[in-house]
Formats: sequence, structure tokens, C-alpha cells
Amino acid sequence: MFRPHSLLVLLVCFCCGAPLHGQSLDLPSGPLQAKVTTACTECHSSRIIVQQRLGKGAWTKEVDKMVKWGALVPAADRDLFIEYLSSSFSPEKARAEMPRSVKSH
Amino acid sequence: MIPSLHPLLKWAIDQNPLQIAGEDDMIIRSDRFLDLETPPELLNSWITPVPHFFVRNHMHEPSSLEAQTWQLTIRGEVENPLVLTLRDLRKMTSHSVLNTLECAGNGRAFHQPHVPGIQWQKGAVGTAKFSGPALRDVLQKAGVKANGRHVMFRGLDEIPGKVPPFVRSIPIEKAIDDDTLIATHMNGSPLTKHHGFPARALVPGWVGAASCKWLSEITVLEKEFDGFFMKPGYRYPNHPLKPGDPLNADDSHILTSLNVKSIIVSPTDESLLKSGPLHVRGVAWAGEADVVKVEISTDSGVTWQLAKLGRDHAKYAWRMWSHSWEPDKPGVYAIWSRATDSQGRTQPDFAEWNPGGYLYSAIDKVKINVQAS
Repeated sequence: MFRPHSLLVLLVCFCCGAPLHGQSLDLPSGPLQAKVTTACTECHSSRIIVQQRLGKGAWTKEVDKMVKWGALVPAADRDLFIEYLSSSFSPEKARAEMPRSVKSH
Repeated sequence: MIPSLHPLLKWAIDQNPLQIAGEDDMIIRSDRFLDLETPPELLNSWITPVPHFFVRNHMHEPSSLEAQTWQLTIRGEVENPLVLTLRDLRKMTSHSVLNTLECAGNGRAFHQPHVPGIQWQKGAVGTAKFSGPALRDVLQKAGVKANGRHVMFRGLDEIPGKVPPFVRSIPIEKAIDDDTLIATHMNGSPLTKHHGFPARALVPGWVGAASCKWLSEITVLEKEFDGFFMKPGYRYPNHPLKPGDPLNADDSHILTSLNVKSIIVSPTDESLLKSGPLHVRGVAWAGEADVVKVEISTDSGVTWQLAKLGRDHAKYAWRMWSHSWEPDKPGVYAIWSRATDSQGRTQPDFAEWNPGGYLYSAIDKVKINVQAS
């Protein structure tokens, strides 16, 4: 049965921006957050980024590969992207824990 | 769970990325493209239920697929190019193969230094019964020419941006093996979309990437296909590399069969347990070879005891195993497992590092904390 209070809870969650069970992950805040989010999540989830633990050399290769594959990264921002990603997702950071799917059937 | 949904609620639930149709309690490595890992404790049966079977997508799943209009084209170095429908495939003799499917990058997260890619830990692996016509029978209908040496698969993955298409090939010898299928069913039911509906290649014993999903085209080639996902993708260095060194694609080979490997599924890592008898359980597989033994160590590899292999056994399927052990006293213990196969391969202490993070197969280890009862 549909219960009106369930709808209310959901609407409150969405209006507050609070996740029902968890939404897509935000990239770390900073001047590059919006640009990197736009360029990368055009094609794939931010979860693919947040689980990486790479040094600057490896991030450079990744950014250049993604540009070749169509990511829209202004040339003037390339080095800033690499800096942002390699400082946010470096090998020294703790492993990212990923959520589990909830039953859907 | 909300038993009956108002349309607005239904919309809201559909937007929740943690609810994935047909999947249950899976670790979400990525929700777009979909990459789902099975938690080790769910790998506790010989046949992995479909809702718990790992999902590896390189790109977006096809947005529309209709069984009635789907077609499979067979062309290239063949006498009679064909276009087959799902109904045509259903009319052919169906074969079933119990196969342990493992992503080539399973265990990538454990490589040091870290390598880019989906950070799979233990669970990009599962065993299922795949059924459908033998690829050999389809190729026979088309009549492979003498110069046809490789068989290329193209799927209906939707390609974002300028990403190279996920197209791969296998040698003709593997393509005409009795057990290589065009699978339409998994565990007795039609493939779900996440697993390649309406048809996928099933290349048993080989890395999962060989078993192309949402199959739309089979092309017989004179030479191995050389697109990105064949070279430099899915290649292994011919000689060990120093950790951090790049791959020289010209001094590497394409991945084929899986390694020998065992994993512990129970107890799970970092478990808190009451003292008393402990039942250690796991699975072990070896691609095209057979698992001949699994050994367990509870003293960091000083001594090893044979685990008991499960009775269920099929050529390409993993073996379940178990081992009873009782810790002497409360404390922290490490339990290690290693498998040996019919080719004489044994899981090594450390996996060989490679830039793709492929074929990780080091001895599996879990740490447990045993407390006084």
C-alpha cells in the first residue's frame, strides 16, 4: 500500500539534497571540482575516479588518454586537472570503500 | 522496501543509483558504466546466482534491445555470410558449459604500486551454467575459409565520446572448441541485460573480456584483431617488469587462460569470532586447467594443511573447498590459502606486478580476531 508519509520523507530527502540510500559521489571541493566533474562525468560515474590511487605520472597518462577519448578538457586546464586528481586521489590516501547495491526485486 | 509505489515514488526510487535492477547486495565499483563486484561471502555456492554474479561493463549497456529484432551477423573470411535471429539460434542444438568467469583485472586493487582501472578486490569472479549453440556450429554454417584464423566479436555497447569500440578476437582453435558458445542462457534463464542479453560469447577458461556481451557481429579474420582492447589493452608483459615500468606492447602477449587461484570466502577479512572450531571455506579455479589441491596455512606459511575439495566438479568450473581448524587461544590470526593446478602452477606469495593489474593470483589472506567465548 502507498503510504503518504513515505512520499513526504522522500520529498524532504530530495529537497534537502540528502540521499535516500546514497547518491553519486561528489568529487572533493576545490577550484577544479566543477570542471573535472563536468568533463569526466559526461561519460562515466565519479565513482570510477574516487577509487583510483595514482601518482602524478599515472594521472597524467589517464588525463591525456581521456582527452584523446573525447573528454572536454581545455588545454589551459590540463595541468590543473592533473594536479587536482593527483593530490585528491594519490597512493597515500586510504582505500575508497564502495557502497553495496540495495535489493531491487 | 515500499510494497506498492506511487508513480512519483517509483520515479524517485528509479533515480537511486544504489538500486540496480536484478542485482542484490553487490559492491558498486561504478554505477555508470556498471561495474559490480560480488562480496566474497556471497561466493559460497558452486553456482553463483545471477543477482550475485559480478558485472563488468566497459561502456554503456545498449539502450534498446528487442529479442524480436536482434540480429547476429557472421561475415569476413567465410563462404556464406549469415544473418541469424534469436529464433535461428534457438533452433540450433544447445550446449551447456559450467564456467568460472573472472575479470582479467580481478584483484587489481592489491597491486603495488597501484594501477589505474576498476579497483576489483576478490569478487570479479563467479561460476554459472551458460547455454546456447556452439560457436563452431555457427561458423560451420557460414563455412570458414582456409585463411580464417581469428574470430572477432563486436557487441552493441554504446560508445561514449571517442572511446574505441569494445571489439576483441580469439584464435580459430579456441573458437571451434566444443565448449565455446554463443550463450543465450545463464543458470537456465535467458541472459539478463547486465550479462549480455540476448546473446554473448562464452569463451570458457579465458579472461572474461573474451566473452563479449550483447553480441551483434562475428567476423572471421586472417589476423588477430588489433584494436585498442587487444593491443595495448588486455596484454601481459613477456618478461617481468619493474613495478611502475610501462608496458611495451610489442614485447607482450594477449591474455587468454586464467591463472590458478583460490580465495577464502569465510571467514571474511577482519572478522571478530568466538573461540572454538572454525570452518574455513573458499573456492579455487585454474582457467583451462584443473585444481588439484588447495592448502591452508594458519602460521603465515610455515606449515600448510590440505583443504578438502568439494565434490562438485566440471572442466571449467571452480572447486569449492573447506578446512576445519580450531585456534589455540584468543588472538589475531592470519589464514592463508593457495591452490595448485594440473599444470603444476601454484599461487605465488606475491603477484607479478604488471601495468594493467591483470591476473592477480597471489596467495589469499584473511585476518581474523578470535575472542574468548
